[in-house]
Amino acid sequence: MELTAQAIFTGLLMGGFYGLVAVGLALVFGTMKVINLAHGELVLLAAYIAYAVESQTGINPLLAMPIAMAVVIAASLITFYLTNKIKKDRELNSLILTFGLGIVLTNGLLMVFSADIYSTQSAWFMEGLVIADSLFSMRSEMLAFVVGLCALGGLYWWLNHTWHGRAIRSVSSNRDAAKLMGMNPTKAELWSWAIAGVLAALAGVMLYVTSVIHPPIGHSLTIKAFIITVLAGMGSIPGVLVGALMIGVIEGLTTTFFQSSLSELASMTVFLLVLLVMPSGLFGKKAGH
Amino acid sequence: MNIKISALMLGVMYLGVPFFLGDNDYLIGLVASALIIAGVAVAWALLGNLGGMVSFGHAAFFGVGAYTSAVLTMDYGVPVFVALVVGGVGASLSSIFMMPALRLRGPYFALAILAYAEIFKILATEATGLTGGAGGLLSIPSLPVFAGVDFGTKLGGYIVILNIVTLMLITYYFIRRSSYGLALKAMHDSELATRIVGVPATYLKVVMLLVSAFMTGAVGAFNAHYINFLEPDYAFSGTWTVFPIVAAIFGGYRTLSGPVLGALFIYLVDQLVFKNLIPQGHQLILGVMLAGMIILSPSGLLPVITNLFTRKKADNKRGEAQHA
Amino acid sequence: MLKVENLSVNFGGVRALQDVSFEVQTHEVLGLVGPNGAGKTTSFNVLSGTVRPTAGSVTYEGHDILKSSMHQRVTFGIGRTFQIPQPMHELSVRENLIVAQRFGRPDGKVKQERIDEILESVNLLHKAEADAATELALTERKALEVAKALATEPTLLMLDEVLAGLETTSKKLFMQTLKNIREKYSLSMIVIEHDIETIMNMCDRVVVFNFGKVIADGDPEETFRNPEVVRSYTGEVPA
Ligand SMILES: Nc1ncnc2c1ncn2[C@@H]1O[C@H](COP(=O)(O)OP(=O)(O)O)[C@@H](O)[C@H]1O
Ligand SMILES: [Mg+2]
Repeated sequence: MELTAQAIFTGLLMGGFYGLVAVGLALVFGTMKVINLAHGELVLLAAYIAYAVESQTGINPLLAMPIAMAVVIAASLITFYLTNKIKKDRELNSLILTFGLGIVLTNGLLMVFSADIYSTQSAWFMEGLVIADSLFSMRSEMLAFVVGLCALGGLYWWLNHTWHGRAIRSVSSNRDAAKLMGMNPTKAELWSWAIAGVLAALAGVMLYVTSVIHPPIGHSLTIKAFIITVLAGMGSIPGVLVGALMIGVIEGLTTTFFQSSLSELASMTVFLLVLLVMPSGLFGKKAGH
Repeated sequence: MNIKISALMLGVMYLGVPFFLGDNDYLIGLVASALIIAGVAVAWALLGNLGGMVSFGHAAFFGVGAYTSAVLTMDYGVPVFVALVVGGVGASLSSIFMMPALRLRGPYFALAILAYAEIFKILATEATGLTGGAGGLLSIPSLPVFAGVDFGTKLGGYIVILNIVTLMLITYYFIRRSSYGLALKAMHDSELATRIVGVPATYLKVVMLLVSAFMTGAVGAFNAHYINFLEPDYAFSGTWTVFPIVAAIFGGYRTLSGPVLGALFIYLVDQLVFKNLIPQGHQLILGVMLAGMIILSPSGLLPVITNLFTRKKADNKRGEAQHA
Repeated sequence: MLKVENLSVNFGGVRALQDVSFEVQTHEVLGLVGPNGAGKTTSFNVLSGTVRPTAGSVTYEGHDILKSSMHQRVTFGIGRTFQIPQPMHELSVRENLIVAQRFGRPDGKVKQERIDEILESVNLLHKAEADAATELALTERKALEVAKALATEPTLLMLDEVLAGLETTSKKLFMQTLKNIREKYSLSMIVIEHDIETIMNMCDRVVVFNFGKVIADGDPEETFRNPEVVRSYTGEVPA
């Protein structure tokens, strides 16, 4: 029982972080119907920036956030620019394009930082926390969870209460109607890619302080992000949160009761089942068929 | 035109390469490795270019074929050449699990296949009894002596993979010119139009997936006996997906020789040039090429280059004619 | 030969067909008329298999076709055209018909003479090698639409507004072509058309749709004198 509670708790914390990783991809998918297969690599890029800053200056890796954001927003906007250059069958060709960009980023990181494994030197993040007398986590895991929830909540608020946010939402739901209402879809798309960059940077720095990084991780993060996005269905933010928590808990339980190596298997299987049985995702409109 | 290029290419591969490189094990091995990529690229193109189903998961078929053949020869004493075929069959069987994904539209099919490939990789790592787990399988039997020829040498292996690729090209050629090929071509952009005249679209897709998986599996099996070693991370590596995609797109949309020439060019340039320039992360160039092609010339670079070349030749001729 | 019974189709909240029944006899030409959105195309979609009905049954020459897949229905002998022509992309006009012959005929045989004959009959022979998706004018696209359906060698041909949008002369010519085709291959037909004159000219019987329901079924001349039919027409369709 206690073991189960702990597994679910760890899974939920993990899920909050996954939500942070996935939501940028979901946002762009919502506005442009483009799944950015380099998104996880953008997250990893931010993590490496945090590592570089920490190892060069010795300061707290969280302070690397402004640089990470600047770089990742720029990278995200370049991806947007390139995606916009696709002339034919953008939905499919953008997958191949961003898949290629993911390879560029992964190998770029490999070139600069080698295949070595890095993690933060700051012991503060590794210290334990006890919640409700019996549930354990590392400080960093709790931090990532809280940052994830705040980011998702903030984004949800922003999409619903600000002019730019509303523009993005109306472009997502009906591009032509939004145009008629005087909105500029390209501008809304640009905003969504920029915000996706911000979210990826946040996720990357959190990744660095909670876990270890090495180049192949980017690809795994991308897969996790699109799995959650498809589960959520068409860029729904609450859907992303629920999907992410679900994946987190499934992985937590698999790790505890089977092995950690099977946790990805479990989430992948859930993804395929949902895609094949409910192609509109758990919360969204029709997508797959 | 296309068939002439293919014939010329095969002529060079069958006669020129063994004659000039035959006694240089390093170079002939390099070309054989390029042909392994080429084989997967042809299989990928059959599904992705002709069938319109872009797959990010051919590594799964490659790995399944490799392990099937390796295990059969090592544990059950199956002759290597038989095991190559069974490796292909194994990959075809594994593709049956992916068939539900054929109902999905293009981008979702691609994502689903990517997920399937990850699942296969994890399963292979976990099924330690069968695959040797992360530790891998060592001393997989080489290709045997057959009809007095030792196919276990670099040159022998080269001849075998060349034959495999040639068979695949012939298959591709016949499928493309058959009514199935016409229907597949049309299904890409106008599936409803084909179904309404009686084309069993789903059935055609199923067949293409089976054939493509078979080809990839057989090539994977060949590779296992060629390098005599397997581990899941290697056999199911994304490389087996990335190289063929780049090669097939580079070589040109729906051309026969394209995936092979693309694979030879890309693999050899990668190994001989970029690997030396950038020891770690040289695949960066693959990513750059992929992204560049999708933006600049999604139907391939090789046709563009040949066009430039033939136009120049035509211009020259016209020039000569004027001089005369 | 075709029997449609109590067919209903819902799209979300929209009831596109409600309890629709009609029949087509062998060698008969049935006209389907009614204002836009009345459910005519939806009926074709159900018959050809692109839409699954919520209720009802359809039998064609003894087959309960709602159980059959789209391509099986074609081999049973049901051919159709689309209101918006659907050429097979990346193929020539001739290749379009080759695919239709190969997959549409139960025996899968491709007969070049038959293809030429069909192309001839719809005046497309001179365009046989043209690219179907990019090199045809509107009339030619419509002709190809009919030719493709004919190449599957149907016994029942369903035409969805193939004459709409053509100017008067080509319309007359094309109508004559269709009548000739019908004689030549002794087909049964269902024809969706707005133009009453065309319907009177071509059809043995009409079924009138309004708001997803059949409001009249009978001899064309009598039916178009029926006040309810007239009202549905004048009320719904701007002249
Ligand atoms: N695929 C669909 N999804 C939702 N509504 C549809 C669909 N097809 C047709 N409809 C609706 O069903 C009704 C009947 O349409 P249709 O059969 O095309 O009429 P028509 O008689 O003009 O051919 C219309 O209200 C139309 O909007
Ligand atoms: Mg209609």
